[in-house]
Amino acid sequence: MSYITLPERSSVSSSTRKLFAGMPPTVFLAFLIIVIVALWAIVPSLFTSHSPVTAVPLDRFESPSAAHWFGTDYLGRDEFTRVVYGTRSSVLNAFVAVGIGLAVGGALGLIAGFFGGLTDSVIGRGVDTMLAIPAFLLAVTIVVALGFHTVNAAIATGITSIAIFARIMRAETLRVRQSVFVESSYLQGGSRLFVLFRHVLPNAYRSVLALSVLQLGYAIIVIAALAFLGYGSPPPAADWGLLISDGQDYQFAPWLVYCPAAVVVITVLSINRISRWLRNTN
Amino acid sequence: MSSIAVLNNEPAPAPTARGGRAKAWPYLAYALRRLVQAVVVIVLAYIITFLVLSVVGANPIASQLGNPQAGLSPSSVHKLESYYGVNKPAIDQLWLGLSRFFRGQLGISLEYHLPVAHLIETALPYTLKLAGMALLISLLFAAGIAYGSQRFPIKAVRGVLRSIPSLFLSVPNFVVGLILIQIFSFRLHAFDVLNPNNLVATICAAVALAIPICAPLCEVLIANLDNETAQEYVLVARSRGLSERKIFFRHLVRPSSLPAVTMAALIIGELMGGALIIEEVFGRTGVGTVMYQAVSSGDTPVLQAVVALAAAVFVLVNLIADLVAPLLDPRVELIGPRSAGGLVRGLGRGFQAGNRLGTRPHR
Repeated sequence: MSYITLPERSSVSSSTRKLFAGMPPTVFLAFLIIVIVALWAIVPSLFTSHSPVTAVPLDRFESPSAAHWFGTDYLGRDEFTRVVYGTRSSVLNAFVAVGIGLAVGGALGLIAGFFGGLTDSVIGRGVDTMLAIPAFLLAVTIVVALGFHTVNAAIATGITSIAIFARIMRAETLRVRQSVFVESSYLQGGSRLFVLFRHVLPNAYRSVLALSVLQLGYAIIVIAALAFLGYGSPPPAADWGLLISDGQDYQFAPWLVYCPAAVVVITVLSINRISRWLRNTN
Repeated sequence: MSSIAVLNNEPAPAPTARGGRAKAWPYLAYALRRLVQAVVVIVLAYIITFLVLSVVGANPIASQLGNPQAGLSPSSVHKLESYYGVNKPAIDQLWLGLSRFFRGQLGISLEYHLPVAHLIETALPYTLKLAGMALLISLLFAAGIAYGSQRFPIKAVRGVLRSIPSLFLSVPNFVVGLILIQIFSFRLHAFDVLNPNNLVATICAAVALAIPICAPLCEVLIANLDNETAQEYVLVARSRGLSERKIFFRHLVRPSSLPAVTMAALIIGELMGGALIIEEVFGRTGVGTVMYQAVSSGDTPVLQAVVALAAAVFVLVNLIADLVAPLLDPRVELIGPRSAGGLVRGLGRGFQAGNRLGTRPHR
């Protein structure tokens, strides 16, 4: 979340304090959860001493306890360890998805809003079309064409979010383009490209960033859904959606569904809370 | 206008026939423009699906037909090959498929050797039943939560109700489905997972499908109610001595729910995507299952048809909503294709411009 603190030239500590001063406790909690999840993704071995892949046949289907927080699965593997090790793939791919949507959609929206006219009409029809195909069906179609892998699921999710990013970026660009400082920049002899990159883009991207955070949560859900249907990487991958899918076969061990599902829900909930807070403070 | 008429105590001039016609023309032009746009979008949606499946996926029909494990007789392979024109260039195949699509021919399944239209027709009633029930449930939930968030006597509960939409947005529908199966089937034995057409099972599936759809509806309803409550006419009504209950039902419900009605079209898209997962989780028959099986067996024509049809349904429902809205509410402005794709503004339809989730209105 560096973009909140960095623009200010004052010392980092004072701006951090200012940031935390006005922050509702739920947002603080949300940030805390996201930091933990991020750490799971970066250094999973720090959080668990078990192995995510080695089977322990004697410990099959143990219910949650102090030794196994989320219980154990059908091979006796510690479910918590599987969830922690699955974080990297689940979260990193959500970032890939948002990156694709933001880069492609943002560029399209910027171009459409800035140049207008025929360009706008053509891009507008394309965006309408992408919005018309139900997002999840489009994602499945793309994954089928690219092959079943979590990265492909992320690419598919990213492509389905291009239209949303394009729409928001276009609206923001139109808003900025009509402002007085853009007009005065033209009067001072600024070229179109100069105005685009110097004035329009920096002013348009803020609300797009709030959307990006929201889309990150959405991407986690969609990628989990694709993995759940078996359209992600095959086992022994430990994507959250795949873990839930594995767990549903053992109705006598419901924790194998509940625990990874709870991690997904809490993560997405935290991301949504942060996005809402960003939107309201902007 | 009306207030001036009241002050002058004069009857408003009756609209002349000419005035009426002058009003009708812009609407007809608008309707025609929207109709053309809708057709263009359906064609483009078919083309995009075709490009993704057949060009990125490198001619899957030919490879599926050439697959010796598919168990096809040489004669039927030959028949299907000539039907799809697999040896012709991609552009010819596209034209063949597109022209057939608009004549209602959806192709022939590579797996079942049946017309795709027949497969979809057989499955459609199950999906419609599920989706209809899900829509109803999400409307009821949304109305209940929105009402509670405004009128519940305890403030803390109102706060909790307000945060429900964002909770609903964070729960994947398959998780809701699995939890409901665990509770109602395995614990309470209200239905058997092997018999998914049981009423309780259908309701559970519909609830799982409804939860993520309910969230945006709730958000819009609550935002609109907040907005309307702050209006001066509510203050006037209150000063006239109306009870809060009466104010809510007589004055707030209608203006707040109209914008939510226009979201229905977006919800259709979510319903179709969700059906794919929920039907699979509950082991139901339906269009989602047809698509799921098509994915696993490499039955590209079925995929192509289901996705293009889904887009067509989405576009048509949107078209109807856009055509009806100006008739329902005269405040709506008719705007052209250049601004936000011919959206109808003035009704809070900015939400539609928002995004495909439809799900996440952001202001």
